[in-house]
Amino acid sequence: MNRVVVRLSPALAMILLALLGPLLAPHESTEPVTAPYALPGFGVPLGGDQLGRDVLSRLLDGGRDLLVASVAIAVVVTGIAAILGAVSALRPTLGAIVERTADVLILLPVALGILVIGVSWPGSGRIPVVVAAIVLGTPFAFRIAAAAAASVAASGFVEVASARGERTLSLVFREIMPNLRTTLLTLLGLRFVEAVYVVTTASFLEVGTQPPTADWALMIRENADGILLNPWAVLAPSLAIAVMAVSVNLAFDVLTPKARNRTVTQL
Amino acid sequence: MTNILDILDLSIATADGHVLTRCDRLTAEKGRIIGVVGPSGSGKTTLLRSIAGALPNGVPTVAGSLSVLGKEVLALPASELREFRRRHLGFVGQDPASRLNPRMRIRHLLAEAAGDKQFSAQQILTDVGLPATDELLGRKPGQLSGGQQRRVALARALARRPDVLLLDEPTVGLDAVLREMLCELLRDRADKGTTILLSCHDIPLIEELADDVVDLGASVGVPAVLTEYPVPDAGGEEVLRVDGLSAWADSRHRIPILHGVDLSLTGRGALAIVGVSGSGKTTLARAITGLHKHVQGHITLGEQPLPLRVEGRDPAQRRRIQLIPQDSLGTLNPSRTVGATLSRPLRLFRGVPARDLPVQVAGLLHTVGLSEEFAERYPHELSGGQRQRVAIARALAADPDILVCDEITSSLDASTAEDIMNVLIELRSRRDLALIVITHEIPLAVRHTSTVLVLEEGRVVQHGATSDVLASVFHRG
Repeated sequence: MNRVVVRLSPALAMILLALLGPLLAPHESTEPVTAPYALPGFGVPLGGDQLGRDVLSRLLDGGRDLLVASVAIAVVVTGIAAILGAVSALRPTLGAIVERTADVLILLPVALGILVIGVSWPGSGRIPVVVAAIVLGTPFAFRIAAAAAASVAASGFVEVASARGERTLSLVFREIMPNLRTTLLTLLGLRFVEAVYVVTTASFLEVGTQPPTADWALMIRENADGILLNPWAVLAPSLAIAVMAVSVNLAFDVLTPKARNRTVTQL
Repeated sequence: MTNILDILDLSIATADGHVLTRCDRLTAEKGRIIGVVGPSGSGKTTLLRSIAGALPNGVPTVAGSLSVLGKEVLALPASELREFRRRHLGFVGQDPASRLNPRMRIRHLLAEAAGDKQFSAQQILTDVGLPATDELLGRKPGQLSGGQQRRVALARALARRPDVLLLDEPTVGLDAVLREMLCELLRDRADKGTTILLSCHDIPLIEELADDVVDLGASVGVPAVLTEYPVPDAGGEEVLRVDGLSAWADSRHRIPILHGVDLSLTGRGALAIVGVSGSGKTTLARAITGLHKHVQGHITLGEQPLPLRVEGRDPAQRRRIQLIPQDSLGTLNPSRTVGATLSRPLRLFRGVPARDLPVQVAGLLHTVGLSEEFAERYPHELSGGQRQRVAIARALAADPDILVCDEITSSLDASTAEDIMNVLIELRSRRDLALIVITHEIPLAVRHTSTVLVLEEGRVVQHGATSDVLASVFHRG
């Protein structure tokens, strides 16, 4: 039990920091408080950025939207994929149509989708980025969920349930989904990392979030020119993104139930 | 001459003292054929497997000595045991077809088993009575019939020319001609110096072939009461009738599985469907339950025609036929407790209100010989036999008229299988239940059913009273 708590703590700490960060920020994140690219000093532990704003305050301010958007993308993508995957395993005809559609969508790179949005709706905020990430991310997750659901759908207990006339949705939620817990939690962790990549890439390309909003990816881009003057202005947000992605994925791994022992005969 | 095999006072028991097999004395010289006989549950399979150095799961206790070619196989370390098996032993278990890797071609399956370059795949195929053509060598196990798969499995065991060949029920599912061929082959191999042990229910075969017979005697696993097999009267009226049922594996009707199967079942009757693996037994069970998609023909339930697909049947029709599926690990939902599994059909078919569910669940568990504490358990906390009892209880929850049991005992040891069959037989007389028992174990079919239907490559080859049909199977030729 203790080991579980220890392995969950980095993720919990990151989530708390990202959510409560805006309340803890010592300075206003959009107001200059020191010289541009000032080195860390009294009152500005991580120095100043290109306009002399406090890097620490911007760091504390810039994680929440990223976290919320990434979690939303991961949960929605995994949820849709799980339901579609289970339904496809039960209804092969419908499954074939969904699969062909997924094949087509897989061909479209997410970065391309983001750029199209950036060009079509300049200054549109985060929502279109989230929608693009969901639409273009679901096909990958669907493939995995469908493959995992196929073997469960062929089990005896699903046969018995369909023989007693259970509706498709009842089969999906009662019989199949509970047995995909391991796969779905792993998938959720992977989709979270992927979502962090997509959202940060979008911010870096200035699609979705616009200056002067505090945002980790945007900070990297804005301060890249001054990396030799105050490296922390770039390093701190980069590390924050990496630690968030890795720690949350690790937490999902800890929460994933281990496969149960199955009887195997020798010979 | 030294003994190839030497067993003295061997006894293998589970950790809680349940004796699995006992053999006082067994010695075999080079080139002898030993028949191992005894009723179900007397430990024939366990004995053969322990000669191959494989003990049942759960750290059993072993007393006495067992040596093969001068080595105590049960005491060998794992790597030496593998080496020993590779060099000296050939083992063909029950249902050997399932042990063939479905992705490998026959050519590679044989070469893998032989392990030397000079070996001739053609020769070994001719030995087991298969056509030695390149076409056959290029096929995969799924493209062979059940009987051919059995012979490929035997060919694999023979390919390395083992010193000791262990065969568990080699004739189950073979017709008279193949059985004769197997006899000649084994005799020939024995003359060339292979020591052969075979366990068999087929006494005439043992008499014809074996030099020595070891009788494992009174069953050690099955309580004496169960050796009487009550077969209740089939109660006259027809409950289920199937006419000209054909089934295909695909929607375009290109790959046939069943060809015009007819059968009839009377109330409280018990029908066995036997046949080798791949003969269409499971498809027939699924078609009757309405689960198989690509079917044609007519099914009549009572006096009313029954829609072929489960979607077309009304709840009452679905309630009357219940399936107990094959795979003992997949038969129960691993994520739900036994109580939850049993509650669902109770609510769906009988509308039992939530507050009465615990009582009803406990009642069902008692019916199949389990205590009510099992309601809290998950399937992985149950033994194979207990899981099958729960599966039976789940089917009974719907209050059915017909139970379709698809190989429900095939993954269980002999004594547990007997217990499960006895639960079913008792229910049959107490609840007016008709049974369809699908099995590849002919002895089981003989003891527990009144009529039998023999399937061969999707066709009914025999249908009639169990005693008549199986007598002719055993004594043909």
